[in-house]
Order: sequence, then C-alpha cells, then structure tokens
Amino acid sequence: MARDRLPVVLERYEAVIGLEVHTELTTLNSKMFCGCPVEFGGEPNTRVCPVCLGLPGALPVPNEAAVEATVLAGLALNCEIAPFSQFHRKQYFYPDMPKDYQISQYDLPFCGLGHLDIEVDGDGAKQRVDLGAEPYATRIGVTRIHLEEDTGKMIHVGGVEGRIAGADHSLVDFNRAGTPLMELVSEPDIRTPEEARRFAQKLRLILLNLGVSDCSMEEGSMRVDGNISIRLRGETELGTKTEIKNMNSFKALHDALAFEIVRQADVLDEGGRIVQETRHWDVTAKRTSTLRSKEQAHDYRYFPEPDMVPFEFTPEWIDAIRVRLPELPDARRERFVRDFGLSPSDARSLSEDVEFSAYFEEAVALAGNSLAKPLANWALGDLSAYLNAGPVALADAKVTPAMLAELVEIIDDGTISGKQAKQVFAEMAESGDAPGAIIELKGMKQVSDTDAIEAAVDRVIAANPDEVASYRAGKTTLIGWFVGQVMREMRGQGNPALVNETLVRKLG
Amino acid sequence: MSISEADVRHVAILARLALSDEQVSRLKEEMNSILGHMDQMQSLDLEGVEPTSHSIPLRNATRPDVVKPGLSRDLALMNAPQAENGAFVIPRIVGVEEGA
Amino acid sequence: MSFDVSTLSARAIRDGIAARTFSAAEVVDATYARIDAVEGAVHAFNELTPELAREAAGRIDAMVAAGEPLPPLAGVPTGFKDNMNLVGTHTTCSSKILEGFKSPYDCTAVRRLLNAGALPIGKCNMDEFAFGSSTENSAFGPTHNPWDLERVPGGSSGGSAASVSAGMVAVSLGSDTGGSIRQPGALTGTVAMKPTYGRVSRYGVVAFASSLDQIGPFARSVEDAALVLNAISGHDDMDATSVREPVPDFTATLGDGVKGLRIGVVRDMLELEGCAAEVRSATEASVKLLEGLCAEVGDVDLPMSQHGLAAYYIIGPAEASSNLARFDGIRYGHRVAEPSDVLDLYMRSRAEGFGPESIRRIMLGTYALSAGYYDAYYGTAQKTRTLITREFEAAFERFDVLITPTSPTVAFKIGERAEDPLAMYLSDVYTIPLNLAGLPGVSIPCAKCGTSGLPIGVQVIGKHFDEATMLQVAAALEGALALDMTPPAFPLHRRSS
Repeated sequence: MARDRLPVVLERYEAVIGLEVHTELTTLNSKMFCGCPVEFGGEPNTRVCPVCLGLPGALPVPNEAAVEATVLAGLALNCEIAPFSQFHRKQYFYPDMPKDYQISQYDLPFCGLGHLDIEVDGDGAKQRVDLGAEPYATRIGVTRIHLEEDTGKMIHVGGVEGRIAGADHSLVDFNRAGTPLMELVSEPDIRTPEEARRFAQKLRLILLNLGVSDCSMEEGSMRVDGNISIRLRGETELGTKTEIKNMNSFKALHDALAFEIVRQADVLDEGGRIVQETRHWDVTAKRTSTLRSKEQAHDYRYFPEPDMVPFEFTPEWIDAIRVRLPELPDARRERFVRDFGLSPSDARSLSEDVEFSAYFEEAVALAGNSLAKPLANWALGDLSAYLNAGPVALADAKVTPAMLAELVEIIDDGTISGKQAKQVFAEMAESGDAPGAIIELKGMKQVSDTDAIEAAVDRVIAANPDEVASYRAGKTTLIGWFVGQVMREMRGQGNPALVNETLVRKLG
Repeated sequence: MSISEADVRHVAILARLALSDEQVSRLKEEMNSILGHMDQMQSLDLEGVEPTSHSIPLRNATRPDVVKPGLSRDLALMNAPQAENGAFVIPRIVGVEEGA
Repeated sequence: MSFDVSTLSARAIRDGIAARTFSAAEVVDATYARIDAVEGAVHAFNELTPELAREAAGRIDAMVAAGEPLPPLAGVPTGFKDNMNLVGTHTTCSSKILEGFKSPYDCTAVRRLLNAGALPIGKCNMDEFAFGSSTENSAFGPTHNPWDLERVPGGSSGGSAASVSAGMVAVSLGSDTGGSIRQPGALTGTVAMKPTYGRVSRYGVVAFASSLDQIGPFARSVEDAALVLNAISGHDDMDATSVREPVPDFTATLGDGVKGLRIGVVRDMLELEGCAAEVRSATEASVKLLEGLCAEVGDVDLPMSQHGLAAYYIIGPAEASSNLARFDGIRYGHRVAEPSDVLDLYMRSRAEGFGPESIRRIMLGTYALSAGYYDAYYGTAQKTRTLITREFEAAFERFDVLITPTSPTVAFKIGERAEDPLAMYLSDVYTIPLNLAGLPGVSIPCAKCGTSGLPIGVQVIGKHFDEATMLQVAAALEGALALDMTPPAFPLHRRSS
C-alpha cells in the first residue's frame, strides 16, 4: 500500500505539490454569461438558451455577481485584486463545449498573489519528516483566482461504466454549460498529501462561509486537481511533474497524492524518469494511470475575448466588496476562545460552519457568556449527534438556539439534573416543545428541598441495614449505590449533589 | 516568415478542417502571399504602443444576476443533426482529448 | 391604389399608410410584385418571408383602422442580411454549413426595426459569413448589381444593397466589419452607413469579427437611413459591447446644412495608387460642393491608416477563426454522413460546409493566433490599431468630419477578382480604418461614372457617437447633388448568364 510506504519515501524525497481548485458558484441565480438558472441535475437541455448553447449570433454578458464573488474570494485569501483584468478565449474543440472555446482568463485574472495559512496536527503532521511529528502551521501561496465557464456534460452510451473508452456514441447535455466556475491555482508550496488535504478543506470552509458555492465534491461543484513532482531532500531543482485528476473527495485527494509520490519514487529508484503527463485517479483500484501525455499538448490560441470589454476595478469598488467579507473561521475561532473561554479545539469545531457557529452564538447571546462552555458542550455533544444521526439540516432542527439556551439555564439553576437534561433534549428534538414545558409536563423538576431529601435518605438507610453496615465498615464505594436508591425513591427528581452530600453526612 | 505545407496541415488540424493535398498546396501559396503583404506592419515603430482590443473605452460591462427565460428543449434541439432523449447525439470519441 | 413602391421613401410609405392613401397590405403586395419582376435577375434574397410580412402589415393596418398613432417605420418594406436571426426564418450566412438553420431567437436590431413597424420582406444574400467584397462568395450564387447585371453589387452585404437599389425594399440592414455596408452602398448607388462601434447591439447577428462588426442601414436617402438608425440604436443588455450613450433623433439635424462645419479631405487616401481617376474627381467635386455650401474645407493625411488593411486582415480572420469554431456539426449545421468518430465529424463537416474564402480566413486567423506567431501578427495588428485610432483622434481635433472615397473603383465584373484574394481585399482600403477605430461612416452616391454610368460613392466619417453631424453633412451633399439613383433601364437589362 502506497500509504504505508509514504513515510519511508518521504524520508528521502520531498514532494512539491500545487493544487488547481475549480469551484462552481452554485449560490448564484444565473449562469456566467446568460440568464439560465444555475441548478444541479434535471432533464437534459432544459436550462439552455442561445448563449449557453453557442448558437450563431448569441453573445455572452458577464454575470456581475460572479465577478464580485471571485473578488470576494480573492480578498478572503489575501489576494491582490488586479486593477485591470480581462476575459480571454481558450480555444479547443470538444463536444461538451458549445462554442468550441471556453471563455476564461489568461494573463489578466481578477485576483493575483495571495495566501492561505493551514495548520496540521495529529497523524498528518508526521508526514513532515523534516519538522518532526509536532503540530505545525504553514503558509500556502495562492498564485491566482480567475473566473470562467463550466462545460456541458456527456453520457457515454454502449461502453463500460459510462467511460469514454469503448463507448458507441455519446449524449450531450448543456444544462451545466456556462455555470460560473472559479479557478484557484496554488503556488507549489504544498509538501505532503496531508497539507494538500488541509488546504482544500480549509479553502472549502472559507468558500462556504463566503456563501459563493455549496462546494460539493460529490456533485462536482468543487473539483481539485494536483500538480506534483518529487526531488531528493536537499535538492533545489524541481523534478518533472505530473497532473492528477479525478480526485473526488478529500480522502481521494490525499490518497492519490500519496500514491503518486510513492509511484514517482519507485520510478526514480529504478533509474527511470518521470514523464510529464496527466494522470487519472482510479478510486477503486487506488492508483493513478496515464490520461494523456503533455506531448499532445494543445495550442489553446488564447486571445482577448472580443465580445467583452476589460475590467478596471477602482479602490472604492474593491473596498465596497471588502465590506461584504464575513468573519472567517480563523477569526471566529480566536474570538470564541477569547470571549467565551472555550478550548481551542472546541472553538475550532464550533467556528467552521457558518450556520452552526451562528446557531451557537445565538444561544450564547440568550444564555450569557458565562454559560458558553456548557452550551458548547451541548452543541458539540447532543445537538451534533442529533444532527448527524438524521437527515435534519440545522435550519430545520426542532431544537432552536433559544430552546438550547433555556435548557442550559435550567440545568445551571439546578432545576433538573444533567441526566434529566438529556431526556429533555431528546424530547425537544422529537416534539419541538420548549424545555420548560417538557419538564412541567413530565414532572421532572429536580428536588432540592433538603427536608424531602433527608426523609428519602432516612428511608433508604432504614431499609438497608446490611449495606449501611458494610459502608460503615469501610466499603465507601457503596455511596454510588445509595445515591441510586435515593434517586429511585425520589423518582429521579432529587438533586444528585444534595443527595450525595446528605448520604455522606448521615452514613458517616 | 514563410509557411510550409507542414505548417498548413498543422493549422488545419487546429482549425478542424480536413483539407485535400490540393487545398493544402494552394493555401500555402495564398497564406504566404497574404501574410507577406501584412508584414508591412512590421516596419512600424510599435515600441511602447498599447494594443487595442476595442476601439471604444467601455469598461466593466456586466449584467445583474437575474434568471431570464431560455429556450424550450424543442427549440434547443430544433436544428440538431441528431438528437435522442432530449440530448444531442455525437459519435464515439476516440482517444481522450481535452475536457476530462 | 396607384403608387410605385420601388421609388417611395420609407417616410413616404409610412405617411401614405397613415393618410390611408394605401394600406400596409397593399405595400406588401406591391413589394412582392416588384420582387417577382426583378429578383430573378438580381438574386438579392436567400429567402422571402411573405407570411411574416403580411402578418406585420395586418398589425399596421389594424392600428390605422383603430386610429392609433403609427410607429416611425410603419409598413416600410425591409430586407435583412442573412446573418441576422429572426424567428420564422432561416439564417444561413449564405453558407452550406448553415443551410436550413432555423432561427430559434431574434436579433436585437431586427426586433427593434420590426417593433418600429417595419415589414420583414426577406433575408438578403451575402458573401459567406460576410467574407468578401462582392457577394460572389455565397453558397447560393452571386447577387447581381442592378446597375449592370454583369457586375458585382459589392459585399459582403451585396443582397441588402441590391434589394434597396433595385427598389425591392425601401430599406435594409447589413453588417459592416471592414466596409461590408459602405462598399456595396457605393457600388449600388445607395446610402449605406456603419454606426459607431457599440451604437447598435450585435446580439443575434452571426459574428464575423466581434471587435469590428456593426449593423447598419441601407436606404435610398439619408433621411431614411437616419430613421432606421433611430430605430435600431441604443443599449442592449444582451451585448456587453453596446454602449449607454444617449441616442438623439438622427433626423432632427439633417437640414442644418454645413455652414461653418470643418471638413477634412483625407488627401493621402485620395492620392492612393489604386484609386480610379473618376472616383478621385467625383470625391473632389463633392468637396467643392460642400465648400460652396460654406463648409470650412481642409486637407489631412492619415498615413497610419494605410496599414489598416494589413491590421484588418490579421484581426478579422483571427476573431473569425474563433467565432466560426462553433460550426462543428454537433448542435446545428452541416454534419458529414457516417462520421467514424467525433474528430472525423469535425474535420469533414467543416471542410465540406465552409466555402473556399471561409476556409482561407479560418486558416489565416488560426495561424495568426497559434503559438509562436501571436505577437508577430495579432499583437502587432492590435498595436497598429492603436496608432490608427490615435491618428483619427488627432484629425478630429481639427475637423468635424472627414471625407474619403468609399471604394477605390466602381463595381467590377463578376469573376474579375475572384481568383485574387489580395485584389479583392483592396476593395475595402477606405472603409477598413473606420472599423479598426470604431468610427461611424456613411457612403452616399456622389456621381455616376462618366464612361460606365455606374454609381460612385463618397464616404463621410464622423467622430465616435457623432453620427448626427456626419449625417448632416451627407444630407447637405445629397441635397446639393440631387442625383437620380434609379438604376437605368431596370429591369429591362436582363442578365445574360
């Protein structure tokens, strides 16, 4: 297994990896250059018009929101926003591309140099043999972000598993053609498959927070390709690189790059040379194979798109976009640690998802900062478990932030026990009733009345002379059993802390 | 710059045109003659001159992100040489080209 | 009814309908009767659309009956170049590759003209994909010049020009990438104008060279051309290169004369070697007339513009090679029989579907954009374009309009230049620089050749978005010349072939 051999290979070789990430701007209403809706799936050729079908005479007009989304992403990734930019035509013939050229950007993209800081910990940190196994942070450069249009889709008929090879003919559907596609190219600053995965995951989180895409790797709205070469440690010259495609999940991204590092090392160790080519990750076979070699490289004949005019962004315009930048996960995490006293790890878990963090913050706002910690526990515990268990989206969850806040307050003032609270939560998730109502209805109020507790304790002590004798003889671990008996006596409503205290006093 | 028949054949593949030998040799002559004439531009002093891709100073032409009605599928497929199940039909693709 | 639709102006037709002198339906009948009489000899149309015309006429007549005010071009018979989409018609670009293509949508300029009341009479013949200056490069046969059926009407909008010249329609639309409206205008004795780039939406006109193409009118008078320009101008959301400049009423200043206007004669263009003597003297005579009308006339040289042809024959084919990639036999258009695979389908469908001039331009343009040649050709041409634009800007510091011939020669014989692409390309030497600089230009008939009697055109060039002044000068000259540009003895002059 390549993964198993990776650490050994990385002892001798350093990998140099750059990523190209294509993200469909799925949250927009309309396509890149026409008014057709941006949606997934559907009957073939039902979301098309003269523009995205490339009919004779049709003209593209860029979607303002797509341009803004790209600049927003550039700002989030600390990119320089180009004062002068332009669309170009990238020309090649392919049946899923209606005009037989793709409107893209070439030497004048919207966003130039930027960066993204990532943190690597756990097992993944071990891949950096040069840094030891300690968690570390590193900065990955972003070369550029540009905007282009997606292609249509083809269904290959008569072959095996819908692959092109062996197919008899193909069907072309242009519903996806013209979907706004944002392409980010990273600098070759990535050194391990784990760094590649963290980079892609963090990029996804940021784009989700910006609200520009649903970033679904499954549905192909986020697609990651990798350029990878290796060199002996200490070597400064770059090796020959290969490009890896079809990595349809973060795991695939990691595993394909790991495989490719080991493969390249094997080739070099056997005295061979790396061929510059595009390779395809086969997720079932868990290997990469040649898709096409660079020798067949096409001459794209880029030239400025004459159907459009250039873009010149003023500093004022860029500032107006900057104002729309939401708080990003890193900043939110720091704030959660600072303001709520959460652990960095809890803060990270709570801050990544924009809706989840908003939910949490709403609950904290209602219950007060002093209850942020128990709220965090509930959010990451029962609430997350409940959300993960069912097909319930956070927005549709019956447990509202107000209900969670109320529950934590009720626990805090001792009305119910933690154990009762779990029952209440389950009930809330089921019925959508407020916790106060549930407690009232089920008679679950915790009894903190000392007289009632003392009476129950006395009854238990009187009824169990043998156990009392054993306890007094030194078997103090029986205290838990006594608490259980008292709680049963009180139908679970006794305040456990008070019960415990009273028992210890009376038995002692 | 003189264009050879091999150049013409290469360009014909880029442009996806199946040309006969006779067309190739005629185009070689014509392209050399025409481009030879166009070479007069090379005598101009273009140092520091910005290229013009449009003659009017328009910038930032965009449209609002609004959905507009498109074509019905029947209209979309009206001119298709071959269609099946609402899709355009094409013959097999040999060799993996672009777009993967 | 007693009216000769072949000689009436657009305004006279509209006014006649408004006054109930004749109905729009009668205009349609008279129009197709005229077409029956002369179209066989001229071949201006690829398709006639009597049903659409009668439908439109019905709407106009209903408005008359209801006493509603009529739009400015109500009932005016109109031809559309066959590269403009219109639902209910075929749009072929006179190419085999688009033979039978049914338009599923409308070209904006066409739609605007129809909204102004125009009657769609038919789709006009053209050089294939607008590649040419003679309308000989049509897959459906050449158009003949109504003035001499042995001669070309110019091109590429030769059908649009001939249909107006021969009195089959009052006005028509053409497209002009390097002179494709103005040059056939000159050769057929019609008023033909290319507006400023961006003035008229290009949406729906099949693109030749996107940064140069512009739609414009043919008419038998400057006023009719201005009426059409009024109807088709203005911003369109569907074209990112269409401007938001205000659109004046272009007819409002036509009668203002030229007194005090500064008119520049482009001297070095006039002295150009290939310019025929009769063209030169006709241009000089026009300038004299304007001077007589109290214009301030001076000379100017535009030496950079002489490189326009070279820049144009790089930029035009480069953009065209890209714009014509979509004709691939997948979604529409000609598909070869029994393709073995997709590559074979592309290669043979395109080779079969495109005519020789289209193939020539696609090849030239693909070569000019290919790796290693971009800077030498496309880059150089775009920089040359900058110099040409600057040169015009400097000239317009001194002058309100500029004057050149439209075409260096009168109409040539069919077949005369067919085998010599370079000679054909020279037909547009006076018109091309305007497209490169995005300037408006209008050709109006200024003389008939002393020996052949063929029309000669003069070109008036305006500043960006100042079509009004340009048309004002053209109208003054038209008035002073008072030429009868009805083709002689037409339609008695039968073509011999």
